Amino acid sequence: MNALTVLYDPTCGLCRRAHEWLAQQKKLIELIFVPCMSDEARRRFPQLDHDLTAKDLTVIGDEGEVYMGPKAWLMVLWALSQYREWSYRLSSPELLPTVRGVVSLISRHRFQISRATGDRAKQ
Amino acid sequence: MTIEITTYLLYLAISIALTIWVGRTLFKNGRVFLVDVFHGNESLADSVNHLLVVGFYLINFGYVSLALKLGYDVVSAREGIEALSVKVGMVLLVLGGMHFFNLLIFSRMRRRASLVNGPPPVPPDGYTRVQEA
Repeated sequence: MNALTVLYDPTCGLCRRAHEWLAQQKKLIELIFVPCMSDEARRRFPQLDHDLTAKDLTVIGDEGEVYMGPKAWLMVLWALSQYREWSYRLSSPELLPTVRGVVSLISRHRFQISRATGDRAKQ
Repeated sequence: MTIEITTYLLYLAISIALTIWVGRTLFKNGRVFLVDVFHGNESLADSVNHLLVVGFYLINFGYVSLALKLGYDVVSAREGIEALSVKVGMVLLVLGGMHFFNLLIFSRMRRRASLVNGPPPVPPDGYTRVQEA
């Protein structure tokens, strides 16, 4: 795998901030950021259910592998040279349920978190 | 030769011999690790191996030389042997510590290198067609 396409939600402040942070990290795998539900996303992945990508972070490998939600977060960590070890640690059977819980909690409340931390949501 | 001089000379001889022995062991056996870390690039592995061993020698000889001073008079052979034993014991502990530190560095480097080729941590949820850009 040489590249991962990250379908992120550009309307949420938290996601934009995560995007900025990711852009600065040293990577083992190239990360391509495409706003979810955008024409660009639909053009690249014509068969994907794009309504699902608005709910959860979606990451797609260059062979068409689709990772959603917690798995997508783990794949993004895996792409970073500083955090690849963490992606293995967090994907262990003991920790994965916790990761699932935390990620879906953050995902569901991302607009509230963005507001609380002072990032205004763009419409 | 007085007992004091004999003690100092024995201390130097033993410490230097021990340091060289440990250094050579590291040099010989560390190479395999480094070749693996650098994906078979032997010249780079040899170079890094050499640099590590030079650092190891510098620190150890530095310690041996700093620890030479006894600070009290040795009058009997018994005192000489005791002083020698304390000094050599300290050198051995420092050597042991350095040795494990080196092993830690080697294993860290190796783990880092093996992570670079690691497989994805989780299987995909599904597959989709990718439109070439």
